[in-house]
Amino acid sequence: MLDAIIKAYKEAVFETDKEAAFEIVNRALTEGITAEEIVFKVVIPAVEEMMSLIVKDPDANLAQHFMTAQIAAEVTEKMLEKFQHPPEIIGRVVIGTAYGDLHSLGKRIVMGCLKALMVEVVDLGVNVPAERFVDEALAHDAQVIAISAMMVHSANGENGCRKVRQILQERGLEARLRIVVGGAPYRFDSNLYKSVGADAWAGDGVSAGKVIVDLIHEVKKS
Amino acid sequence: MTPLEILAAAINGQPAPRIPVFCNLLDQGARELGMSQKEYYSRGENVAEGQLRMRARYGYDNVWSLFYVGKEVELLGCREILFDDNGSPNVADFVIKSYDDIAKLEIPDDLTAHPAWAETAKCLKILKDEVGATHSLCAYLTASSTLPALLMGMEKWMELLMMGPADVRDELLRKCSDFYHKEVAAFRAAGANVLVYSTPFGSTSFVGMKRFQTFSLPWMKRDLEPGGVNNIVYYCGMAPFNNVIDQVRKELGIGVYYLSPMADLAEAKAIVGQQGLTCGVIDDIKMIHWTPEETRAEVKRLCEIGKPGGHFLFGTGVMPLSIPEANIHAMLEAAFEYGSYA
Repeated sequence: MLDAIIKAYKEAVFETDKEAAFEIVNRALTEGITAEEIVFKVVIPAVEEMMSLIVKDPDANLAQHFMTAQIAAEVTEKMLEKFQHPPEIIGRVVIGTAYGDLHSLGKRIVMGCLKALMVEVVDLGVNVPAERFVDEALAHDAQVIAISAMMVHSANGENGCRKVRQILQERGLEARLRIVVGGAPYRFDSNLYKSVGADAWAGDGVSAGKVIVDLIHEVKKS
Repeated sequence: MTPLEILAAAINGQPAPRIPVFCNLLDQGARELGMSQKEYYSRGENVAEGQLRMRARYGYDNVWSLFYVGKEVELLGCREILFDDNGSPNVADFVIKSYDDIAKLEIPDDLTAHPAWAETAKCLKILKDEVGATHSLCAYLTASSTLPALLMGMEKWMELLMMGPADVRDELLRKCSDFYHKEVAAFRAAGANVLVYSTPFGSTSFVGMKRFQTFSLPWMKRDLEPGGVNNIVYYCGMAPFNNVIDQVRKELGIGVYYLSPMADLAEAKAIVGQQGLTCGVIDDIKMIHWTPEETRAEVKRLCEIGKPGGHFLFGTGVMPLSIPEANIHAMLEAAFEYGSYA
C-alpha cells in the first residue's frame, strides 16, 4: 500500500499538482499510515527524487521547483502537527538575499525543501547586510549561511558573500560555519561561487537542499 | 552600408560587409557621465548622452531607450527604485501588495501623458535625432505574463500563477496585456525600431511545455496580435528557448530570436534558418573574470557557428558594470573582425 502512495505522491509533485498531493496524503492517513511514515517515507524521498530529476532533466523548470518546495513544506507542516514526538532536526541554516538585492523567490524554494528535510531555517529576509548573516548564524547556532543573489552586483559585489567570508575570517569562524550561494549569476558562471568565497553553490532551489544538508554534515563531523 | 542597412540585410539574407553587432551598456552610462545612478536615470537627456557616448566609443550598431528593467512599472504607480552605483536598479515598491490591489490597478489611457513617460520620450527623441537615421533604436517591453513579477515580485506572482484564484490572475494578465498594447504603440510612435519583447515565461525553463502552450502562448498572442510583430524580438530574459522557436514562429509569426548564452547556438541557427534572424549572445557574466584573449576566443567561436549563411547577429546579455573595459573592447573588436564577410 505504501508503495502505491509513494508512487502517486511523486507523480503529483512532478506534475506540480498540489491538490492531488494533499488528497493522496489525506487518503494515506485514513488508511492508517502515520504522519511520521508520510514525511520520512513519502515526502522526503519525493523531494530527493525531484533533486536528482531536476539536475538530469533538461525540461525541469522554475514552476516545478516552486511547487516541489511548496507542496513539501505544506505537507510536512501539516504532518508535524500529528507527530507523536518532535522529529530530530539535522541542523540549522540562516538564509537571506544578499545586500542590495530584493528578490525572494529562490530563497522561498530553498526554505520549502529544507523544512521537509528536517533542517531548521531562519529566514533573514531580503537585502541582508553581511554582518547580520554572521550575527544571526551565531545567535541561532547555525551550521550554514545561505545567500541568495539574483543580480550580478549582489552576487559578485563587495557587500554580499565576499564580505560574509571576510567577517568569518576576521572572527575566526570558518571552521564552524559554511557559506552556500545560489541565484542566476552563479548559473552563468559556475566558478563565480569560488571567487566570492563561498564553500558551495546550487544551480536551483531544490538542489540547494542537498548541498546544504551535505554542508551541515560536514560541519558536524569537523 | 549603415548599421540599419546591415541589420536589414542580415534579416533578409542580402549581402553585407559584416554581421550586425549589438551591445547594451546601460549602467555604464552613469559612470561615463560621472553621476550617481539615481541622478543619471532621473533625466532622459543623461541616459541619451550616456548611450551616445558608449556607442561612439565602441562603435556598435544600436542604442537603448531602456533606463532599467522596472522603469515600466513607474507608469503603473511604482514609487521607489533601489539604486546601487555598483549594479542595476531594483524595484523597491511593489504596486500590488495584496490581491485587492489588482482590482484597483489602472492602466493609463494615454501612457505618453504620464509624467514617468516624459523622460523616456526625451531620451528617445535625442537618440532619434542624433543616430536614428543610421542606427537601431532599441526599446524593452515586458510581456503580460512577466510584468506581474515587476508589479508584485516574482515570489508572489508565482504563488498567484500556480495556486491563486484564476479570475484574479486573469484580471491582472488582461491589464498587463492592455498595458503592453499601449506601450508598444507609444514606443513605435516615438521612433523605436527594435522592440525587444521580454517574455521569460516564453521559455520552458520557467514553465513546462504544457503550461507554455496553454498559458504563455495564448497570452503572448493577446499581447502581440493587435500591433503585429514587425520589429519584435523574442527574448526570454537569458533563459534558453530553442525547443519553442518553431511554435513561436508558427503561432506568433516572430522572426527574430535573441538567444540565451546557455542555448545551443548551432541548433538554434538550424531551426531559425533562412527565415529570420538568430542573435547569438555571449555569456557576459563570465567576461567579469575572463582575460581579453578568452573574450576574443568566445566571440570567434560564436561567429564561426553563427555567421555562415547570414541571418545572424552578435549580441550581449546583461553586461554587468564589473566587466573590465579591456574585455568590452576585446569583445567588440573581435565581433567586427570575426563577423566580417570580407
